[in-house]
This record gives sequence, structure tokens and C-alpha cells, in this order.
Amino acid sequence: MNNLYFDIAATTPLDHDVSKLITEIQNTVFGNPSSIHQFGQKSRSLIEKARRQMAKSLNCKPSELIFTGGGSESNNLILKGFLKKGDHLITSSYEHPAIAKVAQELENHGVEVTYIKPNADGIIHVNDIESAIKKNTTLISIMYVNNELGCINPISNIIKMAKQNDIKIHTDAVQLIGKQPFDLNSLNVDFLSIAPHKYYGPKGIGALFIRSGNLLNSIFQGGGQEKNIRPGTENISGIVGMGLATEKAIKDVEKNSKKILELEELFIKKLNENNIRYKVNGKYRIPGILNITFPNILGQTLVMKLDLNGVAVSFGSACSSGTPKPSKVLLNLGLSDEEALRTIRISIGKFHTKNDINNLANILSKILHKECEKDLA
Amino acid sequence: MSKKTVMVAMSGGVDSSVALIKVIESGYKAIGVTMKLWDYGNVGGNDDDNSCCGVEEINGAKLVCDQLGVPHYTIDFQNVFKEKVIDDFADEYLKGRTPNPCVRCNSYVKWDAFIDQANQLGADFIATGHYAQIGFYNNQPVIQQGVDPLKDQAYVLWGIPKESIARTLFPLGKFTKTQVREIAKEYNLETAEKPESMEICFVADNNYNRFLNNYVPDKMNSIGAGNILDNDDNVVGQHKGYTNYTIGQRKGIGLSYPDPRYVKSIDSKTNTITISRKNELYKKTCFVSNNNWLIDHPNLPLECYSQIRYNSKKVKSTILMEDNKFKVEFDEAQLAVTPGQSIVFYIKNILIGGGVIELL
Repeated sequence: MNNLYFDIAATTPLDHDVSKLITEIQNTVFGNPSSIHQFGQKSRSLIEKARRQMAKSLNCKPSELIFTGGGSESNNLILKGFLKKGDHLITSSYEHPAIAKVAQELENHGVEVTYIKPNADGIIHVNDIESAIKKNTTLISIMYVNNELGCINPISNIIKMAKQNDIKIHTDAVQLIGKQPFDLNSLNVDFLSIAPHKYYGPKGIGALFIRSGNLLNSIFQGGGQEKNIRPGTENISGIVGMGLATEKAIKDVEKNSKKILELEELFIKKLNENNIRYKVNGKYRIPGILNITFPNILGQTLVMKLDLNGVAVSFGSACSSGTPKPSKVLLNLGLSDEEALRTIRISIGKFHTKNDINNLANILSKILHKECEKDLA
Repeated sequence: MSKKTVMVAMSGGVDSSVALIKVIESGYKAIGVTMKLWDYGNVGGNDDDNSCCGVEEINGAKLVCDQLGVPHYTIDFQNVFKEKVIDDFADEYLKGRTPNPCVRCNSYVKWDAFIDQANQLGADFIATGHYAQIGFYNNQPVIQQGVDPLKDQAYVLWGIPKESIARTLFPLGKFTKTQVREIAKEYNLETAEKPESMEICFVADNNYNRFLNNYVPDKMNSIGAGNILDNDDNVVGQHKGYTNYTIGQRKGIGLSYPDPRYVKSIDSKTNTITISRKNELYKKTCFVSNNNWLIDHPNLPLECYSQIRYNSKKVKSTILMEDNKFKVEFDEAQLAVTPGQSIVFYIKNILIGGGVIELL
């Protein structure tokens, strides 16, 4: 069967093993992990096993992982739990709304925020961050991989610089895991956000890495679960599913990213063969996220036309109401309004085959050639 | 032959949902599209469940489309809607006139930007949930009134380009609202029992002054109290700003007379309103601006029927030219002929054209 879902950066389908495991847990385990009895014990042990499994894969201590309700929640917890009135935050101007909107909100509560713009390649420059540092700068939060462009920021260098200046550092790594080798022990980051639905794990569950010695204030109150940072009865099957998804994503990262890179190259080759006019935006990209401008057609129309032909891609990043708007990220990069409106994101994943890519390229070429004819007519 | 494609305008309400059902039943391939026209953040008011363009309505439309196996998209038309509809609405009120924003939305958004989008997607037709019909007159497609006299919406369609009629479907025109609700029930649509929204969509609380205060605060703040005049230009009282009044209004003038007084005219330049007895509010004629014909330009003078506001009766009248302007003479004088409102012309039940009422 054709697999023409090319919106992997929005969310992935479940890995088959993860899906099987989640179903099994949902059918068999239900005890409250905080209960005294053996039903509770069974649940608790599954959660703690998943924490160890995840910690081992990411190379951190189990106690450094807090389970949350997803990437957005992890981002909210760190910014709101860390920053206080009078603090200065340095972040980028192209963060996911789960950072950008939180930062805006914190500005209303007396937190100072500086937004660093990416350069024309789509990268946040270390020097730009360093020159924005003030006496009251307490936190730097820069996304590891930009969700619309796939550009990889020089996080190791940013962390090194932050440490030299004695400033805490957080990164939203939601688009990174499973796409590039990753090791929390060598990456000296203080806080890091994770969302497994971007790497074939379940939705509605996430994690926040908090390096030992760092403290966060509670913004939720409740039964004290997850060190009171994220209280509430745990999502057992979600956590267990995230554990396995993380292990598989980290273990298979080289195999998967090699394959995805080949598919990406095949796609570009096909576009060239079909004489398609296009421009890939951003450099230093993670394999599988292609932000492409097709000057002959509005991105919104192209996304709908592709969908009517069974191909799923995205315009901007997915948002709750599904209303498309020109991407601020692309404008930040220096694209004109017109170019930004003619840009889509195609993202490729581990389940795709060469045949899928051929189909994608053929359908896309057919639509674009028709548009060209219209322009000439 | 492959099926013709119809792009259906989906507000999320019962009418557009049933329009979609009828399009599918007629054998077309359908695409559902919700137009995002405005945002509460920009026009004020409360985001409640009964208004269009909120997340609830967009998701409701998506749900109906999914139930019927039809793809659904949300397309942002906020810029054109603001420029052509909301800004004009505010301007007209500030001029002391009474605009028809739904008419402009049809002319500039649905039968312009929306049809343009249909062209881009390669759709053959567009369909909406308006209670109107497509018929033929002199071998050309024309708009006819809907069969439900309580729901007929031909009035708001006079401004659309004539050429677009051939591309338009009105699947609800031959049904009554009651029948439409029954169809919705048969299909188990959750919107079947949804109450009718009669307000202007972007002023969901129906409080125009609240809207204007939110939308054009500086201009509204500069409008102070003014004089109320009688028919002989005597000052008979004070009003609280001319935007609070519409022609024909009786309640809320704040003066007491043995027999009731009505707002006869509004002058934004002098910030005055003139009141009079009801019998002085009748007019035999009016002029028409922004005229649009939906049939080949007829020979004038033309005897036809006119309608001077939404839900008012069609009345016998004659259209003629005077000083290069379109003029309408009503057989019987009409109450509260209001500048800014649409006047719409019919031959039998065929909508032949319309324009905007002017008194000078």
C-alpha cells in the first residue's frame, strides 16, 4: 500500500512494537502507581522500568527524567518553573509556540526576554546570544532543531558559551531525537524537552530532562507525582510506550537517518529530473525535513491539492484550528511574504520506501506542471 | 467521465451541512471549506459557541465533512473580509448610514476570493447554504428566491458577478428550513437543533455600538452628544451620539410626546438626528448607487418589484434614469427608506439586480 503521509515532523505513526506494547499495557495494567497494593506495585514498576530504559538510551540518570503531558508541557514547566520576575531570558525568534508564547506571557509578569533571530541559513549564532547576555540573564532556551526548517542549531557551542557565562541552558529537542545521534552525558545541557510522538511513540506524553542539582518551582499542585513538578496519576501505557519508542529511536538512529537521507536525495533528484522549479530553505538540516519554496503555486493551495491526491504535507507548522498563515519563521529567515506563502514542508520518515518517494515526486510534478501551463495560458 | 467537483462553503451550521449533503446526493465530488473571516481578538465580544469562525465552528464543520467522507480545509480570508466588509461596516455607520455587511461579504469574499480559491483547486462549482435557487431567464442562468418565504436570502446576493451564477449551486433553495432541519436529523448531524443566528457574524452580541467602540475607539470617542431636531429644525433635545440610532427607530430616543416620534434622518456631519411622526417617514422614491445587474442590462424605465430591506415585502415599483442616476419610484410610499441599505429588484421571483439606497 502507498504510504503518502509526508508530514512526519507534525507527528509520526506509532512504531508497531510500541503500538503492540501500549495495547497490551492498556488491556492488562490499570492500578494506580501510588497505591499500596500489588496492582499499584505492578504499575509503579512499569513506570520506573521505562524511566531507566529511557535514561539508559539518552545516557542520563533515571532521576533526571520527569514525565510530562508532552513537549509543550515540558517547555511550559521549565520556563515557568525556572524564571522569576526580574530575570532575563534569551531565546530565539523562531521557537515553537510552546516556548514563544510562554516567553511572551512571562514578559507580562516582569521577565525580560531577548529574541535572537536566525541567520539566512536558519541557524542561531552563538555570538548573537553571547552579546545579548545581561547581568540578570538566568536562562538561555534555544531549540535544537527548528520544526519548520529542520535546521540544526550549534547547541554544543551554545551550551559551552552558557556555562562559561554561568547561565543555565534549556533546549527544546522535540525534533531531534531519533534523527541524529544524541547523548545527554556529553551534552552538558541543564534542561531538555522531549516528545515521543515525533519519533514513532505515543501522543499526550513527554519528558523533561532536569540535570541533577537544578531545581524547578512547581507550577502545578497535586498528589506529588514526578517530584511534584508534574503531579497527577501517571499515564502508564504512554510512559511505557515512550520508553520503548525512545530506546528504538536512539538504537536505530544511524540506520534510520541514513535511509531517510537517501530518500531525501532521491526526492531532490526526481524534482530535478522533472524540471521542477524549487528552492530548499535553510542549511545544516536534519535528514527528513524539507522546507521547499515552489514559486509557481501558493503553499496553501498546493497542500490542499496534494491532499486531494492522497499526499499529506504541511504549510507552516500544524496549528490547532488548521488555519494557514504565512510562516513567521520563513519571514525571519529573510524570505518575502510572497515566497513564504509559496512554501511547504515535506517530511520523510522511517516507514517510507523509494516507491513512496517516486509517487510523491510524480504527483507533485503533475500538479506543478499543470500550474505552469495555467500561467502560460 | 469524471465527476464534477463542488467546493462547499461550510460555516459549521445546519444550513451549510445540509447543503453539503445535497451536493453529495446529487452525485458531485465535494470539498468542504470553512472560511476563517475574522477573529474575536480583533472585533471584540465573547467567543461563545453560537458564532462562526471560532475553533468550535471550524472543528464542527470538519466533523460534519468527516462524517460524510469529504475532505475539509480551513482557508484564511481575514484580510479581504476586514478590508471589504468590516472596515466598510464601520465607515458606513460613522457616516450615519446603515450598511448590509452580508451583501458585501457575498460580493467580495464568497463570489470573489472564495470562487478564486475554487478555481485554484480546480473545482467546477461552488455551493453555499443560502436559501435561493438557480433558474433560467432568457436562456441565461439567474438567481431566484428560495421557496421558504421566511428564509429566502436572494436579497443578500444582488452584488455577485453575473458570470459566477453559472458556477454556483444553491442546494437549499427548494427546501424550507423545517425540511432542512429534518434532513439534518436524518443524518444525525449534531447541528440539527442548533438555534438560528440572526446577528451579523462579527457582531455576535448584536451590539453595534460596543463593536464600534472596540473597533474604531478613537473615532467613536470623538463623537459626543448632539442635538435632536424636529421636522422644522428646532432643537428638541439631546442625543448621546448619532451612531446609537437607526432610521425608523422609536425606542430609546428619550423624549416624550403624546404620539410616538421616530428617527427620520441622521446627519453625521452635524452630529444631529431628526425625529418626526411616523407618517413623515414614508418616501415615494430613492436613488440607487453601486448598481449591479444579474441579467442583461434591461431597458428602462422598468416596472418590477423592489425590496428595501432584508425580510421586508417586495413592492411594485419602477426603475428609471434621472440625472444619470438610477432612481426608483415606489407605487406606494415606503416606510424608513434607509441610506446604505440594499435595494433589490425582482421580476416575479427572479433576482434581476440591486444597489445601495441613496436619498439624494
